[in-house]
Amino acid sequence: MKLGGFAGKILYVNLTRGSIESTPLDAGMAEKFIGGLGTTVKLAYDRIKPGIDALSPYNPIVLGVGPLVGTSLPATSRLYAVTKLPQSGTIGWCGAGGMNFGYLLKNAGYDHIIIEGRADHPVFLKITDDRVTICDANHLQGKGVEQTYEILREEHGSPAGVVSIGQAGENRVCFSMAYVDRFSTMGRGGFGAVMGSKNLKAILVRGSKGIRVADRKKYKALNREILKTIREYPYLKEWQDLGLLKSFPLVPEDMDYRKIRKRRIACVSCPIGDKDIVEIPDGDFQGTLVCSSSVVNLLTPTIYGFEDYREAIRCISLLDQYGLDMFEFFGVMDFAKALDDKGIIPKQLIDPDIHLDSPASMEAWAGKISSREGLGDTLADGFSGIMAEFGDETIEHAPYTVKSMLPYAGPRGPLPWNLFGTMELGQALDPRGPHVGASGSPTYFARRPLDVFPRHLRRMGVPEEAIERILSSGSPEKEDLKVGRLLKYSHRWFSILGSLGICARAQINRFYNAALCAELYESVTGIKTSLEELRFRADRVWTLLRMANVREGLTGEAGALPEKWFEEPGFHDYVSEKPLTREDAERMVEDYYEEQGWDRQTGIPKSDRLRELGLTE
Amino acid sequence: MAQLGTALKGDPKVGKFQITANPQNCTGCLRCQLACSEQHTKAFNPSAARIQVNVSGVDCIIHFTNECNECAICVDNCFYDALQKKPKENKR
Repeated sequence: MKLGGFAGKILYVNLTRGSIESTPLDAGMAEKFIGGLGTTVKLAYDRIKPGIDALSPYNPIVLGVGPLVGTSLPATSRLYAVTKLPQSGTIGWCGAGGMNFGYLLKNAGYDHIIIEGRADHPVFLKITDDRVTICDANHLQGKGVEQTYEILREEHGSPAGVVSIGQAGENRVCFSMAYVDRFSTMGRGGFGAVMGSKNLKAILVRGSKGIRVADRKKYKALNREILKTIREYPYLKEWQDLGLLKSFPLVPEDMDYRKIRKRRIACVSCPIGDKDIVEIPDGDFQGTLVCSSSVVNLLTPTIYGFEDYREAIRCISLLDQYGLDMFEFFGVMDFAKALDDKGIIPKQLIDPDIHLDSPASMEAWAGKISSREGLGDTLADGFSGIMAEFGDETIEHAPYTVKSMLPYAGPRGPLPWNLFGTMELGQALDPRGPHVGASGSPTYFARRPLDVFPRHLRRMGVPEEAIERILSSGSPEKEDLKVGRLLKYSHRWFSILGSLGICARAQINRFYNAALCAELYESVTGIKTSLEELRFRADRVWTLLRMANVREGLTGEAGALPEKWFEEPGFHDYVSEKPLTREDAERMVEDYYEEQGWDRQTGIPKSDRLRELGLTE
Repeated sequence: MAQLGTALKGDPKVGKFQITANPQNCTGCLRCQLACSEQHTKAFNPSAARIQVNVSGVDCIIHFTNECNECAICVDNCFYDALQKKPKENKR
């Protein structure tokens, strides 16, 4: 059966054998798991051997793009990967937008790529429509993310989609990422290291086959409706102008953001592009052009004490070139500094001195970590690597972590935030580790009145009886919000958006609703799909991701909630704003499991739920 | 292929609209190419579009191919005011 929207093939690459094959996409599987993120989870579940080392050649990388990617529907750029991640040791989803990669992969004829094995020397994968080759990448080794991108574009022409890693990924730094089209970060938790462990420096794709939708008339009508909604959105121009700065107003007084921004860049089809090319206007780095997934990221070092925004920009641009996750990098350096102060790390290893507010110090350490030089070799293994190297003395100085990673949104996190909504709880319950991307809901905005919640929840496709459970307090005088129950529907909404290929960011998904998603999916693919069916399949996707992690030994996460979340200054209840207690949060975890149909204590999906979802073997 | 830059695209004999481009505003989102290619080939295939956008670093060039019939679907799909249209006075 020829489906609309889908490219129709899966590409299999084994880097050890040098083999390349492709098979038709199974239409039944695509329907059952929607596509994109969903089918990527399914393919990964089938191929990952439980207990495998994340950096083993046998750990597969499964990439996928959804059926809406490459159409003109707004913000349908999303590329997903599922693999075992080295830092958390869990099976995690990794996602990114991108300017070219997603739509060009579809135009080359592929919905998914599965990469296994390890090349015996650095390689990149080159896909040009049906011609797929494993190419020598010796000339790219040791090059940063942007340089790799530029060399490949120079050698192979434009437009091209490029997923690449920097030196940190090559050297398997456990908090290295990959970058899509040099702007979009992908895979906090060590996706870069997984690529590096395969000697895979980059994937380059070019394609020209075209993507057809099943019902053009319906598609056009729905598309017109969405475009109208976007054009009538009163804050459209403000979002286009400020991007994430609208949510995080970090701009220093002496920085003229509009003056240093030389071009605003958008992921393919996005109406609210928020990537930037900026130019450092003066000082030591005057004239340096920097690409960034968001200017908010470029200013992050100011949170750690950098006084000069120009040096903050320069520092983050270096981290991006190496391919390092900035939150984890600064967290690791903060930990190393504490251990240095206590004399736990031998002084001779501290070269240069560690100062989180010093550009020279941070740049030197970013280089040492990325090349695993000296103490950088230990720091490259993250918090758990440092604790293993320097012993039990380190424990009392360690930052709080979830799945061995730093939860970055919280009262003591780099993004200071004290209300406990779905994104905050989600840091403990996303299988991949502390990441807020899958856990959005109306709690994204602080103190949003509860009486507007039902409208937003209906948009996310939450059924009426669940809205009742989420918002019921049992008393007409008291307001309540069951964050744990709501989180189940955040993950479902994310699974829908990710499987279709739509960006899940709050400022984008507001233009979509779950019923519209079902209609779009049907018009693009030709697969008859009701809202109820789409929701059901999304639950299947998220539950299968859970099962992939249950196989790895993941059980109830309530006990792993960081104690420091409950010590002042800790998290506060989203509604009452009273300090959150451990009991409150543990109940939310249990509510979440129960709402999912998983065991209330262990979080393991119940057998009747698995049967219902068609996930029994 | 004719380079447009900020100049006008339009031959009064061909289409209904006069299209102007302002590459300064372009984000490279390719919505114009996606919509154009689907309109004229029934498949989303930016390489087959009659408008071609090339964003390279801070530079952006917008071209129209000779096949462009100025239907202006590219303009209708631009969110960034990088393309504008106005009806031609001498429409035939």
